[in-house]
Amino acid sequence: MDFKQKLQARDEDLDFMRSISFRPNDQSGLLEDVPFVVKDAICAEGVETTAGAEILEGYRPVFDAAAVERLEDSGAVFHGKTQQDEFGFGSFCTNCAHGKPRNPHDTSRVTGGSSGGAAAVCAATDKDVLSIGESTGGSITNPAAYNGVYGLTPTYGRVPRTGLVSYSNSLDKIGVLSSSLELVAQGLETISGRDSGDQTSADRPVPDFSEESTPGSLTVGVPTQLEGVDLEQSVRSNFETSLGQLEDLGYGVERVDVPLLDPDVCVAAYYVMAVSEASTNLARFCGMRYGAEGSPADYEDFNDYFSRIRGEKLGEEAKRRIILGTYARMAGYRDDFYVRAAKVRRKLINQIEQVFERCDLLAAPSMPGVAPTFEEAQDMSASETYAMDALTVGPNLAGVPQLSVPNGEGDGMPTGLQLIGPHWGEKLLIDVARQLDGE
Amino acid sequence: MSEDGVTIGLETHVQLDTNTKLFCSCPNRHADEPNTLTCPTCLGHPGSRPAINEEALRQSVMVGEALGCDVSGKTRFARKTYFYPDMAKNFQVTQYDNPVAQNGQLKTEEQSVGIRRVHVEEDPASMVHEGGDISSAEYTLVDYNRAGRPLLEIVTEPDMSSPEEAREYLKELTGVLRYLGVYSPGSDFVLKSDANISLSGGSRVEVKNITGISEIEKALSYEISRQRQLRRRGREVGKQTRSFNSSMGSTKPLREKESEEDYGYIVEPDLTSHTISEEDVDTIKEDVPELPRQKRKRLKSEYGLGSETADSLVRERDFADLFEKAAGQNSETVARLMVNTLRKVLNYHGSKITDSGVAAEDISFLTSLLAENDITERNAEKALRSAVEDGVRARQAVEEEDLRKTDSSETRKVAESVVEDETEAVEDYVSGEEDAINYLVGQVMSRTNGSADPSEAREMLEEAMNQ
Repeated sequence: MDFKQKLQARDEDLDFMRSISFRPNDQSGLLEDVPFVVKDAICAEGVETTAGAEILEGYRPVFDAAAVERLEDSGAVFHGKTQQDEFGFGSFCTNCAHGKPRNPHDTSRVTGGSSGGAAAVCAATDKDVLSIGESTGGSITNPAAYNGVYGLTPTYGRVPRTGLVSYSNSLDKIGVLSSSLELVAQGLETISGRDSGDQTSADRPVPDFSEESTPGSLTVGVPTQLEGVDLEQSVRSNFETSLGQLEDLGYGVERVDVPLLDPDVCVAAYYVMAVSEASTNLARFCGMRYGAEGSPADYEDFNDYFSRIRGEKLGEEAKRRIILGTYARMAGYRDDFYVRAAKVRRKLINQIEQVFERCDLLAAPSMPGVAPTFEEAQDMSASETYAMDALTVGPNLAGVPQLSVPNGEGDGMPTGLQLIGPHWGEKLLIDVARQLDGE
Repeated sequence: MSEDGVTIGLETHVQLDTNTKLFCSCPNRHADEPNTLTCPTCLGHPGSRPAINEEALRQSVMVGEALGCDVSGKTRFARKTYFYPDMAKNFQVTQYDNPVAQNGQLKTEEQSVGIRRVHVEEDPASMVHEGGDISSAEYTLVDYNRAGRPLLEIVTEPDMSSPEEAREYLKELTGVLRYLGVYSPGSDFVLKSDANISLSGGSRVEVKNITGISEIEKALSYEISRQRQLRRRGREVGKQTRSFNSSMGSTKPLREKESEEDYGYIVEPDLTSHTISEEDVDTIKEDVPELPRQKRKRLKSEYGLGSETADSLVRERDFADLFEKAAGQNSETVARLMVNTLRKVLNYHGSKITDSGVAAEDISFLTSLLAENDITERNAEKALRSAVEDGVRARQAVEEEDLRKTDSSETRKVAESVVEDETEAVEDYVSGEEDAINYLVGQVMSRTNGSADPSEAREMLEEAMNQ
């Protein structure tokens, strides 16, 4: 059975693909003939791109995202787009306009989010596929852990966002998921580097991620603020086993204090920043130019038109975030919310940079528990759901790279170890993961 | 200040003359065919991103320097969010916390106007309301060719107190912008102002959409008298936004403005903050030429010119430059030739000094002939016309067309023959109709191909008729 057939067959059961479409590619390079899929929010020319949202139905971009272009230039073969929460707003991939993907390890459970389809496709088709995801506050680490695959969230600015439907531009990072650590390394190497279409993409050399090197003696810091999060038992014991493995490799493991990594601070600052930007990004979706449309004759004027189209087509979570974000940047509140969140981010970055003067990398569990069932997920309130991001928003807010590494099971479901590096330190994370893999 | 305390502040938008738009590589120009100069970025397509046009920043810094502003070199863009059909993204990328320049001033002949800030932003799309205005139109068409073109906004302090002062300010500002090469009137680059007007103790009314210099006085005068009328009738002037209708010469309400609109500004996260190094700012500063006001002053003192002549010379930088090149000992004659004759010829041909082909040597040559009383003004104009029309040198035109002044004996001969031929006119003159002599002078001029001196011709005609 070739990959495309396998993909179709597994998707029948699990619904992790937004669309399967095959684009032949005869270019040669590092990723020759490797099948790849992208999160729905990443534009592929002529392929419907909705970012999991109903309001964008019918939008076919006239250009490829930089990541797509670079992968095709290196010989990889486009196979379609994966499911996600609407605009990335969710932790379980249950806020999707186009069906809910199921976890390949247990179909009664969620895939995680928001790059849920991106992780599930890797778990469902094994080592064959390279999957491009995107993380704003943990949307790669979360589903990677829930599906037992590798998920690398690079440093902010490492991978150009050209062609990414934005959630929160100052936090969005395109990254790589796969069951194969080597595909993660090769994929990241291919899509990294400055692109003129994204001014925030960094103009700095891209290391040879795909070439293995052996790290010397390392100090691994465990932030007490993350270790103190309420963790499921299996997650805690698997994490301790992982720390033991790191010690077996000859690395020093020590507890470190990063006060602003406290989820009470981070989750608040992250959401204020993310929803402020999101509420402006989503303003363009008004039923004109692309995506959903109404018949103008049925509406009184422009205000009536865009208000009703948005009212009908945007999901509940999107509306919640637009209202929160609009509030956070209003005159009179802006300083207390938006500006303050930006200051917290700046201070957090300073603290993290300080801790990396002592440590080479940080370690924490990827998620507090294993993937919940659909019922469990449905019963959570918005703030309970936001709390699921306790371990991931800190590093995402600071823009440092993270690699989620599968590290065992609990209740038959995978758990993950989150390795966190300093800015631009992806190479070290990959090399340490290689060492753990060889154990 | 007028007795009821008129206060005026202006926000002037200038379309910058760059090759490409502010955030994408689409051409920065007008196109007749709608929506042909567009790309995913200026259409606000999901996934598209802005990339700053460095030349637009450079021009903005230069304007900031010319207006004596603080130019920190560190500037940042912001999103100003509001829903409007001409906005591709429903937010405009503009500047909020860190404009390119702030705290400057512009001196006119009469006063100094404070400049609050200078910032750069993207132009929205243009709209065509079919069958009415925005509220009554059957439908509205949107043309994104204009979307994303670079706009410079120059905001004054409320320092002006009459429509005349506002006009003087705009005139001076336009001159500065022309000298900097960021704006040229009559091209498809547009200059528009919004004005804030209040009477002392009254609410502030914003009048939008005043084009160019000529309309500002009209719009402000109307608005001031409207506010005075209301006050006289004991009614209150409400806080409002109004728009100026140029063909009616009046303003009408756009919307009531109870409080400041809340645009929910945030940093534009797709653009990094821009730091222009001190060195670069200094280089740009050096590019700022002598500005119209300084030049006017210098020409007056250095060449002894009158205000009006100096004013006319400095209106365009190239014109003033040509004057300085041509001005020798007869600078007043040079100025007169340029301001009266050359400008007339250029206007007639709708051509600019730079592409007219007229050079300093043409001006100097004709000036020396005028000074030596060797050519009439009329024939000097002829020579200039040939220079513009046929691209020949003035010297060549004078020789080939025989434009030098006819000498006196020749003129006398022609005058005598005119008196002989034009018996009717001569009789009229002799019987006391003095105007008839003008006709006779015209005859002499025409028979000498314009090269006779008109006053000499008059004298000789009188002599011939008195004989």
